[in-house]
Amino acid sequence: MATIPLSAVDRFRDILGTDRVLEQHTERLLYGKDGSIAEGDCGLVLLCETTDEVSACMRAAHELGLPVVPRGSGTGLAGGAIPLDGSVVLSVARMRRVISVDPETPCAWVEPGVLNLDVTTGVRHLGLHYAPDPSSQAACSIGGNVATNAGGPHCLASGVTSQHILGMEIVLPDGEVLTVGGPAPDPPGYDLRGFIVGGEGTLGVVTKVCVRLMRDAPTVTTLLVDFPSVTSAGAAVRDVIAEGVIPAAMEMMDRTMVRAVEQFVHAGLPVDSAALLLVEVDGTPAQVADQAAAVERICRDSGAASVRTARDEAERALFWKARKNAFGAVARIAPNYYLHDCVVPRTRLVEVLENIAAIGERHGLIIMNVFHAGDGNLHPLIAFDRRDPVQVEKVFAAGKDIIEACVAVGGTLSGEHGIGLEKRDYMPLQFAPLDLDAQCRAREAFDPDGRLNPRKVLPAGAKCGELILDAGSLPEGTWL
Amino acid sequence: MSDEGHMIPPRGAPNWLPGVMAPAEEDVVSCVSCGLCLPHCPTFRVTGRETASPRGRIFAMRAVMEGRAEVDDEFATMMDECLACRACETACPSGVPFGRMVEAARAQVEARRPLPERTARRLGIGWVLARPWAIAAMGAGLALSQATRLERLLPARFSRTAPRVGLRQLLTRVPDELGEGPTACVLTGCVMDVASRDVQAATMRAVAGAGFRAVRGQARGCCGALAMHHGHPEAAKEMARQRIAEFEGADVVVANAAGCSNHMKTWGHLLADDPEWGARAAKVAARVRDLLELDLHPIPGERGAVAVHDACHHVNGQDMRGPLREVLRRAGARPVEIPDDGRCCGAAGLYSVLQPELSGELRTQKARAIAASGATVVACANPGCAIQIANGLREIGAPVRVVHPAEYS
Ligand SMILES: Cc1cc2nc3c(=O)[nH]c(=O)nc-3n(C[C@H](O)[C@H](O)[C@H](O)COP(=O)(O)OP(=O)(O)OC[C@H]3O[C@@H](n4cnc5c(N)ncnc54)[C@H](O)[C@@H]3O)c2cc1C
Ligand code: SF4
Ligand code: SF4
Repeated sequence: MATIPLSAVDRFRDILGTDRVLEQHTERLLYGKDGSIAEGDCGLVLLCETTDEVSACMRAAHELGLPVVPRGSGTGLAGGAIPLDGSVVLSVARMRRVISVDPETPCAWVEPGVLNLDVTTGVRHLGLHYAPDPSSQAACSIGGNVATNAGGPHCLASGVTSQHILGMEIVLPDGEVLTVGGPAPDPPGYDLRGFIVGGEGTLGVVTKVCVRLMRDAPTVTTLLVDFPSVTSAGAAVRDVIAEGVIPAAMEMMDRTMVRAVEQFVHAGLPVDSAALLLVEVDGTPAQVADQAAAVERICRDSGAASVRTARDEAERALFWKARKNAFGAVARIAPNYYLHDCVVPRTRLVEVLENIAAIGERHGLIIMNVFHAGDGNLHPLIAFDRRDPVQVEKVFAAGKDIIEACVAVGGTLSGEHGIGLEKRDYMPLQFAPLDLDAQCRAREAFDPDGRLNPRKVLPAGAKCGELILDAGSLPEGTWL
Repeated sequence: MSDEGHMIPPRGAPNWLPGVMAPAEEDVVSCVSCGLCLPHCPTFRVTGRETASPRGRIFAMRAVMEGRAEVDDEFATMMDECLACRACETACPSGVPFGRMVEAARAQVEARRPLPERTARRLGIGWVLARPWAIAAMGAGLALSQATRLERLLPARFSRTAPRVGLRQLLTRVPDELGEGPTACVLTGCVMDVASRDVQAATMRAVAGAGFRAVRGQARGCCGALAMHHGHPEAAKEMARQRIAEFEGADVVVANAAGCSNHMKTWGHLLADDPEWGARAAKVAARVRDLLELDLHPIPGERGAVAVHDACHHVNGQDMRGPLREVLRRAGARPVEIPDDGRCCGAAGLYSVLQPELSGELRTQKARAIAASGATVVACANPGCAIQIANGLREIGAPVRVVHPAEYS
């Protein structure tokens, strides 16, 4: 493991005090990981509490020439928060104040370490909520959501994170503090928000966020539909959207997944069904009744075996608990999972799902599906045991096949988890050298020395056009 | 790049001390590091440090298991800071059995402590708790020092965490036998029998009222939970054997403290490898009931709003949120939820003494949340919590009384 020189450690201690600079061996090991399967090499951990501290630390790192990786809750699934080659990890997990709430606009300024769900919990009494709801919402941070442009089940109707971020304060790699946007509908000057959201920690450290809040819908109905085949469920999704109904959320889980998660939630899910759809509609009581009826009719036409409506708020919460804990429940099948995040056109959904099943069979692997069906954002999840090297080989080979199958039908690499480290080397599948070069230049405008979250998102050589596509394994400098 | 050498970390033989209980490999690898447990972990919430999170603690265990880290001071701090509240276990969709893992990790930590420290801890946890007269002597000492206000001479850390023991408490007589029906042997426990003898007496009434012949167990016979939580499995096993021998004749075995009932239900697992005791332990463990699991008939009255404090070891591991509310309703009280998502109060066995800072933070948070609930009484069925909460409420000057639900019988 790389270590940071003691004089540098002292610089950071002068800023943060001894307790908030972690430099011992095992402490650093723990910050070498996030929610993905890879593990990197962390040189030092900084636990900042204020913008001033972040700025001072970034200035010090700039002067010392040290690479820095911003970190929120570390639930990322693309390895974005994993430090390589002894980078410094700057954690914002202690920056968790809700600074102000404006119930009129409505919006709120929060610090980046505030957990996604805590924003909603804090404004629920005002009849408001923060709409993007990644399945990890109880654990992931707003800063991490901004950096990955996170999505979630309810982003089908209300849009992903970028549509809910009104303004930000970010600290640039040299310590300069920049504020972009704000509660005003159209802030003057270039609108950089769209670029910074989804920056995956390569542009600056987000230190404050102004989030849009939404008013709670008067009525909500949640349907759990049980299908005899994945194909019929896929067809129902396609037909619901084709008919012009946009549910608040439409999620699919296949049988293996349902069985794993039912062991945890005990929600009485139909464990024998081949595929489950979780559909939520909201709005005025009349709208809800209409939409729910339409969804039910279309599902039955596609061959649904049963349609169950959540009886009350408690049952609705239980359905969602099942969906949102799905990834986590995989260890009941195998101790590790490798996950992709492709988006495919909804019209090709059925075909791609069949293809993925065939890929699993070909490699002799268990592939489970749980995903945002409404917007075609797949999460094929390969369950495996990292202690078995032969299996690991197969997992990476199958992952590559899945990505290629998705891109071949006009899909994209990532719907919401980001590119980070794990999907980095697949970028050339999607972008021409010219595109990558342009992205690289935009990044350099923020980080000319390439010290912020280095070697993430853009593959090596993205600029000079010497691309080597070597996807389908873990990037150099990491391990499993 | 596809060279496998990059993908497999330098793995070596486990760095666990042989011959001492250690976290099982199958348990350790079942964590997929999703982080869904983080928001439920009180120590992570307070510190924001991965090193004080369930995921981090498990990863540290994994690093030791793979020969990449040592059971050293750093590792010890991570395990010591854990409350063993098991909130992470309830939250974990993968079913990671964190409770038994941290107990085993702590056994490793204890075995490596420098000798003088280890002896001191052994004495406190293993020796005193196994000796009823020693607990009684300590209780008397505490009561005397508090009555004479001599305690002012002790460090503040001590007086903030010690139970308030009235001299009258020590003189309260607890009946040895009460009621008719199948025999229910009632665990007297260690701390309870010193700090809350009125609760002990009330427990006998409650058990009798539930249709049993309540028989009081040996005075101050500890179940071993504290020893187990703090890394002394051998001491815990010894105490378990003593209690099992005592309880074998009973139809049911009742404990009025969450930590005890939860632990006693695992006696079978604890002694599974013991040829002489394994089967006997399993049999007795199967008859263990928490007091709240009995069909209690408290004396109904006009009791108004009562805040409900769930002990971690009722909720996590025993899935028992309902019964406490039901007993309160039967007693004529209106149960009120404490607005803090049931976060641990920071008592956690000896944690309040060993980790005064973290424990103090959680104590204050809990006391404030109870005060915010608006109730003037808070019910809780675990002595550790009761002591901690009473101290916390006193600290912030909130006029809220702490009761054990048995006291309504
Ligand atoms: C069980 C599970 C379910 C999930 N479900 C979803 C889902 O439905 N939708 C979805 O989109 N994602 C999902 N995710 C992925 C993950 O939760 C999101 O990507 C989330 O936004 C990451 O937030 P975090 O705070 O954990 O960030 P981290 O993992 O800490 O970091 C993620 C990236 O953001 C950067 N970053 C973090 N904080 C900052 C900051 N303050 N400033 C600048 N950069 C920063 C990091 O450098 C890194 O590149 C899921 C993950 C899990 C484990
Ligand atoms: S303990 Fe469970 S919830 Fe926590 S990180 Fe591991 S698998 Fe996820
Ligand atoms: S037992 Fe409690 S304190 Fe320990 S890791 Fe789990 S939630 Fe955190």
